[in-house]
Amino acid sequence: MPKHQLNINEQVFTVEAEDDMPLLWVLRDVLNMTGTKYGCGVASCGACTVLLNETAVRSCATTIKSCAGAKITTIEGLSDALLHPVQQAWEEVNVPQCGYCQAGQVMSVAGMLKRNKQPSKETIEAVMSQVICRCGTYDRIRRAIDIAVAKVNNP
Amino acid sequence: MKHSVNRRHFLKLSSFTGGGLMLGLVLPEWAKATGSAADCESFKPSAYLCINKDNTVIVYVAKQEIGQGVNTSLPMLVAEELECDLKSIKVEIAPYGSLGQGAHDTGGSQSVMGLFDPMRKAGATARTMLIAAAAKRWNTGVEVCTAEKGKVVNNKTGASLSFGELVCDAAKEEVPKEVLLKNVKDFKVIGKGQKKNNLKDILTGKVQYGIDVKVPGMVYAAVARCPVMGGKLVSVDDSEALKIPGVVKVLRYEGTGAPMHVRAGVAVVATNSWAALRARKALKIVWDESKGKGVNTAQLEKDMAARAKQKPAEAIPVKGNAADTIIAGPNSMVAEYSAPFVAHATLEPVNFTAQVKDGKCELWGGLQLPDWTVGLVAQELQIKSSDIKVNLTLSGGGFGRRLHSDFALEAVKLAKQLDHPVKVIWDRTDDIRFDVFRPANHHRLAAKWDAQGRITHWQHHVLTTSITRVQRPDAKQLSENLGGASQDFWYDIPNVYAGYSNVDFSINRGWVRGVEFVVNVFPLESFVDEVARKLKKDPLQYRLSMLEGRKPFEAKFNDNWKETIDPERMAGVLKLAADKIGWHKPAAKNIYRGIACHCYTTAKAYAAHAVEIEIKGPKQFIIKKIVATIDCGLVIDPDGLKNQMEGGTVFALSQALKSEIHIQDGKVVEDGFFNYGVLRYNEMPAIEVHVVPSEASPGGAGEVGLPTLAPALCNALAAAGNRPRRLPLQKDGYSWS
Repeated sequence: MPKHQLNINEQVFTVEAEDDMPLLWVLRDVLNMTGTKYGCGVASCGACTVLLNETAVRSCATTIKSCAGAKITTIEGLSDALLHPVQQAWEEVNVPQCGYCQAGQVMSVAGMLKRNKQPSKETIEAVMSQVICRCGTYDRIRRAIDIAVAKVNNP
Repeated sequence: MKHSVNRRHFLKLSSFTGGGLMLGLVLPEWAKATGSAADCESFKPSAYLCINKDNTVIVYVAKQEIGQGVNTSLPMLVAEELECDLKSIKVEIAPYGSLGQGAHDTGGSQSVMGLFDPMRKAGATARTMLIAAAAKRWNTGVEVCTAEKGKVVNNKTGASLSFGELVCDAAKEEVPKEVLLKNVKDFKVIGKGQKKNNLKDILTGKVQYGIDVKVPGMVYAAVARCPVMGGKLVSVDDSEALKIPGVVKVLRYEGTGAPMHVRAGVAVVATNSWAALRARKALKIVWDESKGKGVNTAQLEKDMAARAKQKPAEAIPVKGNAADTIIAGPNSMVAEYSAPFVAHATLEPVNFTAQVKDGKCELWGGLQLPDWTVGLVAQELQIKSSDIKVNLTLSGGGFGRRLHSDFALEAVKLAKQLDHPVKVIWDRTDDIRFDVFRPANHHRLAAKWDAQGRITHWQHHVLTTSITRVQRPDAKQLSENLGGASQDFWYDIPNVYAGYSNVDFSINRGWVRGVEFVVNVFPLESFVDEVARKLKKDPLQYRLSMLEGRKPFEAKFNDNWKETIDPERMAGVLKLAADKIGWHKPAAKNIYRGIACHCYTTAKAYAAHAVEIEIKGPKQFIIKKIVATIDCGLVIDPDGLKNQMEGGTVFALSQALKSEIHIQDGKVVEDGFFNYGVLRYNEMPAIEVHVVPSEASPGGAGEVGLPTLAPALCNALAAAGNRPRRLPLQKDGYSWS
């Protein structure tokens, strides 16, 4: 089986896996990093969002091979002390209910703000409409994004 | 294991799925307080909590956390009486079996209601014993000692001892038979909004759900299930699947009937989820699907509409003589409404882990009714319930999906063929196709009024693909869980008659974020609005005229199910919603408003929605604003309550606008989020939640914010001149933004 080197949360891992194994299952089943969640497997719900070179991607639709040389950030790599502005905003608004989708929500916002510190309403809607919350915390997510944007611009 | 266990559980189960008995009010065994004399590390005055020498307090929550917030609200009840900082509490899932039967049952929005007293008593008992221990240490009376912020203070000397310092002595104290609970005015924790207990774990990716379970030696399985209920496996060719790296073996099992309707399956067992899911696609299976032939939702709709005009299978003459009255003529109205099958689609798809070894079984996962599951697993394996160990986990959403045990039984059917523990992974398609759907339903309502426009006669024929019947085909009374919002409801009408008919349909059904009767609210609150508009009366005032001045009354649904309904509280949430949407202010051009209310009897709560829309075209609208109001008695965690009402509204909005399961020849058509519609971020309207202050004993909230959203929205569309009578709106060509 092919060997792959992965740089995840600033740590290097060597993994033996088929080239087309999705990053999601490498993280969850091989590396036991379960913070990244399975929701649909076909990039329709956003639960599995991680950053690949600072861009938000769906790890269920990203093969291990395509991660070669890339810097991967998962929810576990954001900040254990909740120092990331998106985590802080989420904490302030007390967003989650069951919490299952929230890694995907937080990573999607983190990725969006890396590229664009002042996203328009349209950009936010385009990005966040890809991430489903069945508990229905969208209004809180909206409020938390406003706070996160303010924090990023006035650290 | 004999069938009687399941039977007994069923009786208990039906008491909350529709009927009015409280569930889960199982008092802990007030076991002799423990704190082993040898090491003296902890003090455990009941099964609900433990205080350690290092001052940590562990609260054991028996209810399944599914997003409704029990792991935050229930520990608050303990903290209030124990007098400790909520932050010093570590929340743990109560080990299965540590409390009595029924203690873990989670449903009907009844967790806070059932545990309001027991959890507070647990805190007060511990506090009383800690104070007694401290008083002895100081050689003084208990009356000079008080507990505050995790300490006992000697009010004479100013000395203090932390709870941790007292655990050994407190454990030796007699458990008091009675304890004094605080007055509402003295509450310091209850009524103050709290952050979710595991917020930090969620935001750092540490939180673990059933799908994250990893047990040593565990293998993973993906199951190909028979696409139709009751179908059988004809043949399987697994040669290609077995070639896929990581695949261990392919297993088969037969399906079972009621109550769980486990489909016949072929399972690929592998060393990781992906290999199992991938190899499943390579199976070549032939199913006998003959049982699904002609099982179509399109036909069901026609059958229900035809059946609605006939006499109901069961008729309940609720009040007066409405049963014998033929409703027709000028001062009357008849209308029909319908809603389809809908899915749970919890974001954490169904999954379960099981091990069967040496005549014993171990289970891992989220379960809302673990006693029921254990009974069925014991029956499946022909072992004793006491030989089954259950490890409960957090769940990424429940909405009633995890009340069922089909997924657990499936995992056990595989585990008994394996030497390893096995985790069964459901992909999104499995989760939707093999869900336990909220029944499709159809309603015919008729009303007659007098010269003043007061409704005198009311008839409601409820047609449903009954949950009761799919779980217990021999059930005598179809209406046992359907009486709410169709029999003695909140409006003052002298002659009321309700009828119920089951329409057979071969698909599994269950509760989706609501007890069975909540499907009656959309037709009820639409119809009363229709009558008001036909009479050219203000729909708000018309409702209030049937509520205000009416005294609280006891609605009796059957011999075991009675509920008190207070029409004044109903009027309270209605008026608050109207006020906050600006009901009495003139609306701008193309702006229309709708309102609806209901009493969620089993959760002792009242709620209303008011919706403001802007009409953009004949069937095109924008939702400008939604107001949700609730009166659920005393509020424990106001922020958690608001989150529940916001979430309930979103869940209901999905159902009102676009969620629908179609079935063709017994097979579910929808297979994922691409074609099973759920609300997304860009569709989220502005929402406000307002709570009616109350000191009435606490009710529930998790399911209470759903039923009135659809009628309020449809009533707004009706105000604009176009009344929708079936859901979802997408089905009839409506579009929104």
